[in-house]
Amino acid sequence: MSKDSAPLVQLRNISKRFPGVQALDRVNLSVLPGEIHAVVGENGAGKSTLINILAGELQPDSGSILFEGVETVIPNAFVSQRLGISVVYQELALCPNLSVAENISLHQAAVDRGLSFVKRRQFAARARNVLEQLGIADIDLSTPVSRLGIAQQQLVEIAKAISGQVKLLVLDEPNSALTDEESARLFAILRQLRAAGIGIIYVSHRLEEVISLADRITVLRDGQYIETLAAADATVDGLIARMVGRAVDMLYHRERDGAQSATLALAVRHLSSGATLRDITLSVHAGEIVGIAGLPDSGKDELVECCFGLHRYHGEIVIGGAVVQLHSPTSAIEAGVAFVPADRRHVGALLMMSVQNNIAAASLPAVSTAGLLRPGAIRTLANDYVTQLDVRISSLEQQMATLSGGNQQKVILGRSIATHPKVLILHEPTRGIDVGAKAEIYRILQELAQQGVGILIASSELPELIGQCDRILVMHRGTITGEFTRSEAAEEPILACAMGQMTHFISEGEKR
Amino acid sequence: MAQQATSATGQRSTGVTMSERIKRVLRARETGVLIALLLMCIFLWQVSPAFLTVRNLLNIGRQISLIGIMAIGMTFVLISREIDLSVGSIYALSGLATGMLLIAGAPLWLALLIGLLIGVSAGAANGLLSTYGLLPSFIATLGMMSVLRGIALLMTNGQPVTINESSGVAPDTLSAFFFIGQGRLLDVIPMQLVFFIAVSLIGWILLSKTVFGFRVYAVGGSDKAARVSGIKVYQTKILAFVIMGFLAALSGILSLAFLPSGQAGRTGVGVELDVIAAAVIGGASLSGGEGTILGTILGVLIIGVLRNGLVLTGVSPFWQEAIIGLVIILAVGLDKWTSSRRRAA
Repeated sequence: MSKDSAPLVQLRNISKRFPGVQALDRVNLSVLPGEIHAVVGENGAGKSTLINILAGELQPDSGSILFEGVETVIPNAFVSQRLGISVVYQELALCPNLSVAENISLHQAAVDRGLSFVKRRQFAARARNVLEQLGIADIDLSTPVSRLGIAQQQLVEIAKAISGQVKLLVLDEPNSALTDEESARLFAILRQLRAAGIGIIYVSHRLEEVISLADRITVLRDGQYIETLAAADATVDGLIARMVGRAVDMLYHRERDGAQSATLALAVRHLSSGATLRDITLSVHAGEIVGIAGLPDSGKDELVECCFGLHRYHGEIVIGGAVVQLHSPTSAIEAGVAFVPADRRHVGALLMMSVQNNIAAASLPAVSTAGLLRPGAIRTLANDYVTQLDVRISSLEQQMATLSGGNQQKVILGRSIATHPKVLILHEPTRGIDVGAKAEIYRILQELAQQGVGILIASSELPELIGQCDRILVMHRGTITGEFTRSEAAEEPILACAMGQMTHFISEGEKR
Repeated sequence: MAQQATSATGQRSTGVTMSERIKRVLRARETGVLIALLLMCIFLWQVSPAFLTVRNLLNIGRQISLIGIMAIGMTFVLISREIDLSVGSIYALSGLATGMLLIAGAPLWLALLIGLLIGVSAGAANGLLSTYGLLPSFIATLGMMSVLRGIALLMTNGQPVTINESSGVAPDTLSAFFFIGQGRLLDVIPMQLVFFIAVSLIGWILLSKTVFGFRVYAVGGSDKAARVSGIKVYQTKILAFVIMGFLAALSGILSLAFLPSGQAGRTGVGVELDVIAAAVIGGASLSGGEGTILGTILGVLIIGVLRNGLVLTGVSPFWQEAIIGLVIILAVGLDKWTSSRRRAA
């Protein structure tokens, strides 16, 4: 990083107001050429608003943007592209119907003349070039993006972002779906781009990574600029304290003693499904929290989905002592399973509906008589869970889409708990949720376990599993390669099992 | 989608094995439609001697042309993730306006120009309402369907417009106008079919070869991805509607020149459904991003050959509509039911 160079981009006193929220309040940010500048903050701190302003998707209410020293207005994405700003969005912006090569060259298609011929050969060459640069060999250029997994899509998105003339690269949680190896490759690329003089804005919740990757870190809280500090001086605890405005040493802390009954809430025996799951056997006791770790293609996603009747399977699933056939989510709910899916926006939340209807959605028999809904019962039910889970809303009628991610997740959790499940299955329960809401969700899970619910969590965040679970199972290529008790659980051995480099099992004597 | 994938790979010399390429061709939606079409033709050839004659085939070619020209436009609109229900009304209004201008003594070029401009303007209005106007195109064009039909009724006072020697059109103009609708190129190929072939060719180049066509696919695939890449989403969609409007007008004018009569209350009523059906049978997706000109042509042919075959084999005309409906359901259904993209949930 060249210390004496003039800033590439400077945001001065940027403010942006949405109905009911001051998303940004006089925020300052400056990025030097050849600098990786991280922006951290809880959800709702204003990071995405800031990104959207740079991308030309939103206009600030006040304040100014200086790009290469010149005061600039960015009225739309076209101008943003022209300036050399490239954005990698968290929720990917790819055309599923187009091929990898075509997606990577999308912005070329924006500037070429409409009646000129598409230079597919050039598209392919450019794509091959960028993917090579990223060290990605296993993606076929002609495959439609819809056939790629989420991790590969993320890589394509990154390739697309760096394929043009980039001066400022903005990345919003670019590695949320990447494996550690792929992330490492991404970081190497980012350092390479930095060395080439490109300015990089890096938004992430993963603070350890941010500290090791970035040169400087800017903290936002509730739309306000808090501080910019050198990464060398930053610590995770220090950043969290600035992000939430208080110390959060409670985050991964657990007060429950882990005592559990001998009753089995869920038992899975010799379960196989398609090519993704092979002979899985596991059990979750009432009052126990069991975690499932594994890389994106390990089968952990399919396993939890199987337990909710989303896939066909061979083998036996036992819930509350009874063998059940789960051929649909309905049969799973009837058997006493509740499921909190990973994709909150598309699968979990009924975004257009009210908070109370979201909570009642899985308990319709309980709030209706002869097929007619009882509004009073819906309100009572919703009110119970809003209070119990401390969901922050202005009214029960508030539309789900207007809630923050953390509050949405609490509502979905409320819907699941309202069915009084024997087994609660959570898939990536805190993905994209800010630190404060995370802590609250963990508290709720611990309380539920205390009340005797068996909980199964599939997560790609190891600290979360290690902090919350009584037992952790590790999957690799569709089989269980490791089992760790609470006292044994640590990141390195779990990762080694996840990558298939070792196996580790608990001896019978240690099991309860 | 399939055509996109193959056209991208078609020019790649490495990385794709022959068997992979054959698999892609077999998987393509067009292949299924083509096989269905060939089976139909073989069947008709066996049961009806009249089917496989030059005369009958050219006849089919003429019958499908007007729907076909519009289906090419609809392919652009559907791929961009919009829909146009107003094509039947544009078809009527443009044709009738051209006819009235001719009767009023306007020179042929002016009548044609104004007829086509009406189509272009209607398309632009549809496009503007569906983008900057923030209306779903289903609603915008449903409204425009009525508005344009109403204008046509007002303009003609509900009376039929008939072009013939006694309508006061100059003999030269009359014969030139009739040639576009009823003439035959080299005394063999019906002019309507010539127009359909030309429109198909231009449409194919525009959609699969040019940057504009690429943008149409991008916008239909994900308008967010297209927008953040700097592609002008609204402009692209408006242009798709304008192309549709232009082609609906062309079709309407050809229809008047062929018949040579039209009536605002009847001409082109319900034609949008045939047009959409042809594009959808050919693989265009109502959820955008998918479809090809080749597929649409095959879809148009399926409908044309089916209608012709039902007539040749003496099936009651009342059955025809029902059978065509079943074919639409089967064509799209087979694709979905056998698709590898099918999910358990």
